[in-house]
Amino acid sequence: MIQVTHISKEFVSPKKYPGLKGAVKGLFSNEKVRKTAVDDISFHISEGEIVGYIGSNGAGKSTTIKMMTGILTPTTGQCLINGIDPSKNRMENAQNIGVVFGQRTQLWWDLPLSESFTILKEIYNVSEEDYKSRMDFLNEVLDLPEFFDRPVRTLSLGQRMRADLGAALIHNPKVLYLDEPTIGLDIVVKDKIRDAIRQINAQYRTTVILTTHDIGDIEELCSRIIIIDEGKKIYDGGLEELKNTYGAVRKVTMEVRRMERISEIDWENRLHANSSLFTVQTDSEKNLLTVSFDKNRIQVSDIISSVMEVSDVKDIQIQETELSEIVKAIYRHRI
Amino acid sequence: MQKLKRYGRLYRVLVSQFLKTILQSRVDFFIGLLGFFFTQIMGIAFLYLVFEQIPDLQGWTLDQLIFIYGFAQIPRGIDHLFTDNIWMVSWWMVIDGDFDRYMLRPMNVFFQVICEKLQPDALGELLVGMILIFLSISKGVLIVDAAHILCFFISVSAGAVIYTSIKLFFATIAFWVKQSGPFLQVAYNLADFAKYPTEIYSKGVRFLITWVIPFAFVAYLPASYFLIEKSALATIGLECLIALIFWIVAYSFFRYGISRYESAGN
Repeated sequence: MIQVTHISKEFVSPKKYPGLKGAVKGLFSNEKVRKTAVDDISFHISEGEIVGYIGSNGAGKSTTIKMMTGILTPTTGQCLINGIDPSKNRMENAQNIGVVFGQRTQLWWDLPLSESFTILKEIYNVSEEDYKSRMDFLNEVLDLPEFFDRPVRTLSLGQRMRADLGAALIHNPKVLYLDEPTIGLDIVVKDKIRDAIRQINAQYRTTVILTTHDIGDIEELCSRIIIIDEGKKIYDGGLEELKNTYGAVRKVTMEVRRMERISEIDWENRLHANSSLFTVQTDSEKNLLTVSFDKNRIQVSDIISSVMEVSDVKDIQIQETELSEIVKAIYRHRI
Repeated sequence: MQKLKRYGRLYRVLVSQFLKTILQSRVDFFIGLLGFFFTQIMGIAFLYLVFEQIPDLQGWTLDQLIFIYGFAQIPRGIDHLFTDNIWMVSWWMVIDGDFDRYMLRPMNVFFQVICEKLQPDALGELLVGMILIFLSISKGVLIVDAAHILCFFISVSAGAVIYTSIKLFFATIAFWVKQSGPFLQVAYNLADFAKYPTEIYSKGVRFLITWVIPFAFVAYLPASYFLIEKSALATIGLECLIALIFWIVAYSFFRYGISRYESAGN
């Protein structure tokens, strides 16, 4: 469905110098600054997949999406969307895709929402029959009738996002691009949007590519994620796999009565493990002991029993590493 | 043919949306219209003031000059009415990334740009132009026959194309420099020279408005065909040729510019 082969995008801008003097200098200098926003990325996405495309701000997510939608022309490399190269056959590609940019609406701002849908029906050449069945479905999953006759500018952000999502789907696109679809929305609306995306995907086998900073979107929607950083692809695979590979670290925190005796524990021996597989931290003011460990190699019960032999324990807390922690770590190049 | 029909239909749909929007703010609409009308009246008053002192200019009488002035308004008005949104591309759409929208829809990009807006202010120019032309006809300064009437329509269309091409060309520079409004403004202002016979200008200006930014071809040259016996081919024909060349150059440049479009970060 989507084949991206070695695409790169380089932006060239004139070099800027600081201050007024610099501004004048910049006017006459011919120096250019090259910035590689996307650096040799390749991937393949099959029909019906929901793929999360994530990365920190400025990592190159939007640039990639913009190349796939035909807004930007890649500097090198090629993408084929359903066999069509968007930079060569932009219009043909546009007929096959739906796009929602969370921070920008593509609806007619001053007109009632219903008008936007009528216009889009014409633009995408949707037949009366298709339009009806499509609208029935969209009304059901997005609750559009609630605000269908109101001017777009009067809609709340949540309503506008639902409207934009509906508008992107009116022509039954094969691929749906969502750039931060839940940005700024409250929990209830987020749930509704996620639900709608799931239903659209299930009913029409629409391929969905979404960029987001919201880990919830990814956990609830995506079976696969692609992580990019500084324009390079650094991870491409299943969500579970990512958690197992990078999220094996578990943390146990205990409030102990006799902190001074903790140092007596011979950890390596008691846990039957090399010291690289765990770390021990103590906070003697609050009497807190924290052990981070690889859950695949060390039993949590060993840790607890070792501690209980030397001291009473008032409280125990065991934490899994959350996806957001993993992603954070990846962004910080820790992995 | 199918395609043409589809675009005709889309044009109606998109433009009627625009009209619905502006009719919601009727006051703006009328103020705009009024403002432009006054600008025009000032222009004519100025013309009379100047020519009261000078009975003729390089062999042109006041009546003839008024026709040239009025005739120049028509292609300008047509272009102004239909393609005013090109200004938005040069000033804002590229730098803001609003241009993204056009790239996402299965329609020709240039078509989308011009569909988005009609400029009612242009009706002022068209109205004044028509009034002055009818005035000229009633004074008998024009040659009126079937061939001339046909050529009139061809000429104003070609003139409008020249205007549009020049605007499109300078707006396209925005794909490199982000905002090309100032360039477009300078080029567009040169059109003011077209309201008077080119003979009154120095060599440099004449060269500029004839061969670099060809506003001479939108008014003065074709106007001379209607005023004095001149060959249609050397005036209207040449105008059409220039229109065609400039359109091809501007549109190709625009197409190339689109491939250089960089959008904007979030």
